[in-house]
Amino acid sequence: MRGLKELLESRDLLVNLTLRDIRGKYRRTVLGQLWSLANPLAAMLIYTFVFSFILRLQPDRGDPSGLDVFALWLLCGLLPWAFLSNVINQGIASIVGNASLIQKVYFPRIVLPLAAVGAAGFNWLFEMAVLLIALSIVGAFVLPWIPVLLLVMILLAVFATGIALVLATANVYFRDTEYFVTILLQIWMYLTPIIYPVSLMRTASADLGGLFGTSVTVLDIYQLNPMVHFVDVFRQLLYDNRWPDPTDLLVCLVWSVASIAIGLAVFSRNQKKLAELL
Amino acid sequence: MSIPAVSITNVSKRFRLYRERNQTLKSAIMRGRTSIHEDFWALQDVSFDVPAGSTFGVIGRNGSGKSTLLKCLAKVYFPDAGSITTNGRLAALLEVGTGFHPELSGRENVYLNGSILGMQRKEIDAKFDAIVDFANIERFIDQPVKTYSSGMYVRLGFSIAIHVNPDILIVDEVLAVGDASFQAKCLEKFGALKAEGKTVILVSHALTMVEEMCERAAWLDRGRLVHVGEAATTIERYRQSEATDDSDVQESG
Ligand SMILES: Nc1ncnc2c1ncn2[C@@H]1O[C@H](COP(=O)(O)OP(=O)(O)OP(=O)(O)O)[C@@H](O)[C@H]1O
Ligand SMILES: [Mg+2]
Repeated sequence: MRGLKELLESRDLLVNLTLRDIRGKYRRTVLGQLWSLANPLAAMLIYTFVFSFILRLQPDRGDPSGLDVFALWLLCGLLPWAFLSNVINQGIASIVGNASLIQKVYFPRIVLPLAAVGAAGFNWLFEMAVLLIALSIVGAFVLPWIPVLLLVMILLAVFATGIALVLATANVYFRDTEYFVTILLQIWMYLTPIIYPVSLMRTASADLGGLFGTSVTVLDIYQLNPMVHFVDVFRQLLYDNRWPDPTDLLVCLVWSVASIAIGLAVFSRNQKKLAELL
Repeated sequence: MSIPAVSITNVSKRFRLYRERNQTLKSAIMRGRTSIHEDFWALQDVSFDVPAGSTFGVIGRNGSGKSTLLKCLAKVYFPDAGSITTNGRLAALLEVGTGFHPELSGRENVYLNGSILGMQRKEIDAKFDAIVDFANIERFIDQPVKTYSSGMYVRLGFSIAIHVNPDILIVDEVLAVGDASFQAKCLEKFGALKAEGKTVILVSHALTMVEEMCERAAWLDRGRLVHVGEAATTIERYRQSEATDDSDVQESG
């Protein structure tokens, strides 16, 4: 509880560190903040070309929105994923990267990973705003879903923060973490229905049937991945324009709470030692 | 004078000296443990009080634990034994310009650094002109700080730290980079702080400066407190021991 009070007192610091990350990043570039769109746009072009044009992947039409635009369908899953992966990558680097600060000044250490979340969140908001505009142009009726959308975005941010806190701590002990995570994130991305629809996975799993004579299917295991549910919820809100499945929402909520609880526990247990470990 | 500004009781600080630091997983797994280390006590059983409203010097050879002690005061390190109590707001100047972002302008960095040192935005707004004025870099305040000279860095950093308006200011050898006029200005500022009843704790190898400025001083050697008391007496004893014993920087352990 003392930690919480301290954190509240240092909210100005949190804001300033976030601004430092945001402002410092695109300083002296001509395009500035537009650069944050470059990555998702490039990914969108590549995946659309490969999976929609060459491999002819066809996700279901938006129901009830009736949308049928692969690129937008893709972005509804890709942008949340990119946010998660940014938070994890930047969160990990936030402690080791600010070593000189940690060794010279006292402040609640948690503001560093939180500022990384803030900076990644700022970019994400910007990207999502652009996506909402694009969706509206092709005829999706997204406006009424914005409040729920914001709520789910907060859930994902909480989920991502928890993971980032654990990994940032681990990275202080083992610098391998950073490189390890890069690979894990790639695997994780392909285990999440971002560039292919879940329905393909469902068919594949049904064809295979129960594993090793049990009733457990590949799909059951697949769905242990929290991001499957997050991406599902984002697509239902943005692409289909309907209420997300309550089970999906509940799973997201549970994972977020678990993640942040573990993250805070691990981080606060180690934060006093950070200065000498670095 | 009744309640000390800082009271240090039996503080010890241990570092682990790693013969092999296994900061990669491979080495940790191969050896089945994370590290081979021995303990090194950078501070051992140090106790003294710093009276409120005084200027206090800490002296000692390289590696004697002065910076470690100040870091414990600043809560950057946590002592392994003993306790430290401080009365009032504390600002530490352990290294000037930490947290400066090279690409950002001086102005943006004042806000960033001020908040790192614990100031709220409104407070910085109010003091902004005074900070820039003291640092004497008005012309360059909107330039990125990476273009600053090291003296300008120190000026700006120091200026921010004293405007935090701390009850206790901790300064670790950072003034050496400033030019003579800036050093004079700082000494003057220390005097003003003292007149306001603030406490200044400073580490320095410039013994004459410590003698001039401080009423009391503590002398550390190899992590142990050798003497604490009147600055003149402490410095005198330190000088004598330096003259008789000319051995190198202590070996670790
Ligand atoms: N993070 C650390 N890990 C291991 N040893 C450390 C660490 N920090 C300091 N030490 C050791 O503690 C001892 C005291 O260091 P400290 O920086 O306090 O000396 P100092 O009195 O400030 O010296 P100087 O006059 O050179 O500034 C040194 O032997 C140093 O090697
Ligand atoms: Mg030192």
